[in-house]
Amino acid sequence: MDKSRLPDLVRGLSTEYEVVGPVSKGDAFVFGVVEDPASLQLDYTTTILPPKKYFVPPAEELMSFSAASNEVTSAGITARPRVIFGLHPCDINALMLMDNVFLGEYEDPYYKAKRDSTLLVGVSCSPNEHCFCNAWGTDEVHWGFDIFLSDLGDRYFVSVSSVKGADLLDHYVETRHTTPDDVTEFQRVTRHFKESFASAPVDTAQLPLLLDAKFNDPVWDELGDKCLSCGACSMVCPTCYCFDVKDKLSADGETGERVRVWDSCMFSEFAEIAHGHNFRGSSASRVKYRYYHKQWGYLSKFERVLCVGCGRCERACKVSISPRVVVEALQQGGAQ
Amino acid sequence: MSTEAYARLSANPYRPWPARITSIRDLTETEKLFELRLIDESVRSAFEFAAGQFVEVSIFGVGEAPISISSAPSKGGFIELCVRNAGDVTSALHQKQCGDIVGLRGPFGRGFPFEQMKEHDALLVAGGLGIAPLKSLINHIHDERHDFGRVTILLGAKNPSEILFRKQFDMWKHREDFDLIMTVDTPDETWDGEVGLVTKLFDRLDVDPENTYGAICGPPVMYRFVIDEMREKKMNVDHIYVSFERRMKCGIGKCGHCGVGHQYACVDGPVFNYWEAMNLQEAI
Repeated sequence: MDKSRLPDLVRGLSTEYEVVGPVSKGDAFVFGVVEDPASLQLDYTTTILPPKKYFVPPAEELMSFSAASNEVTSAGITARPRVIFGLHPCDINALMLMDNVFLGEYEDPYYKAKRDSTLLVGVSCSPNEHCFCNAWGTDEVHWGFDIFLSDLGDRYFVSVSSVKGADLLDHYVETRHTTPDDVTEFQRVTRHFKESFASAPVDTAQLPLLLDAKFNDPVWDELGDKCLSCGACSMVCPTCYCFDVKDKLSADGETGERVRVWDSCMFSEFAEIAHGHNFRGSSASRVKYRYYHKQWGYLSKFERVLCVGCGRCERACKVSISPRVVVEALQQGGAQ
Repeated sequence: MSTEAYARLSANPYRPWPARITSIRDLTETEKLFELRLIDESVRSAFEFAAGQFVEVSIFGVGEAPISISSAPSKGGFIELCVRNAGDVTSALHQKQCGDIVGLRGPFGRGFPFEQMKEHDALLVAGGLGIAPLKSLINHIHDERHDFGRVTILLGAKNPSEILFRKQFDMWKHREDFDLIMTVDTPDETWDGEVGLVTKLFDRLDVDPENTYGAICGPPVMYRFVIDEMREKKMNVDHIYVSFERRMKCGIGKCGHCGVGHQYACVDGPVFNYWEAMNLQEAI
């Protein structure tokens, strides 16, 4: 697809869908509504928040209730047709990791409705200094999108992974068949991408076993002493799905809404039970649990780690704790 | 209830079903026994559970709390919940009257392996409020008593006034088909039973280790000591079952609050055998 055709595609999609994508906000980028194709910043680095906000909003009403009769009055599940345009491979991979949780056993109807009504258009990227997706193989994405655009300079190498994606291309934009030259250029661009990561990939060797073997290692106390328990890492993480559920009463106390809100295992009361016992009262135990779950707990269920190496947590953390730092600390001692 | 049955009944696993409180009994100063009946008939008839499973109880405007079921699965149509007044939701539940409506979701989690335990001896140990989930298993074994060998129940409490279901267990002391021993940390003038921790009672037990299943429910600190006693009796690690209390908010493996090691107590537990539990970091 010729790059000059891109606005046609965006405008076409806008007739049927709300189009959201990376737009500028100050010096940074965020996923926001794209009113005009020109505002779409497809050469963006990484957005502040991941696109999970479109599937699990920061606060989401699950149902409304009558407190007087103690019954549910409505539990409507709605989702608007939407296209997220310009997702990087890490964020598409992250959504597939979220799918394992929300679309597996006990399917979550709120998540599913939004997932079903949302199309994903991916775009290739250039790694920045925080990216370590190459550690987990999440620098590539082979499915899970509707359309994926690989940037070849003046044109896009287009991958289509759904019938809907193929239909939209047919309807809204002129494309042509791939030539051998296109493939050669795609290979060249891919090689350049693989070579342009700033630092050596994270050393993931035997990580799950190390997490167990070093469960009582002082490294966790050092990390715990630094951690502010602010939860920023979870909020910006495209794969952190934990939530809290709260009942909000109206002013008269008669009716209300049950709302789920983003939560974080970094918060001190996260694992506290009713009569006050806290299973993870220290920040060291919470930092450890977060990494233990992401790199081992989730892996034990779904054969993937719960991290896509987007680097958002590294940017957000005020005390420079990140998967790279934690894994490096765990690997220490085995160096030659 | 199987996941499939649940899905058929409810397109929304977060939406509680209305249930009516049909009876409330004061057990101690802080615990009440609630009997609930799901109002919708089709939901009620599909509501099947295993001893050791739990439900989420809703008081709208306050929230939800996970509570283990105390009655036996064989008691159709009603479930009993033994509830300590310990948090916002349980405190609101304690204010409720007979006939009031509460929200109910579940049952959730993995219970005790009842079928597997049949044809074996059972050694059941509860401390404090731990009797709440274990009571379901005890009652279920009671209802199908002929399928089990020797059944031994050890109950511990801080003091006599905190013994839950004391009237029933006082009567059971004289039964021949249950070996029941109760012990308290601090006796009072009404107490003529044992004094000390439940672990003290193991000295007098004659356990056939190959042929016995153990089940333990109690405060977190109790598990290690009781497990040590059972291991001392040469019981197999995968014949010892424990039930974990965690903050199970959603009940369906999503919200993350009940994480224990690499598992979630709500879907992978709350009942684990000791082999599993010893491989869960920070579990015991």
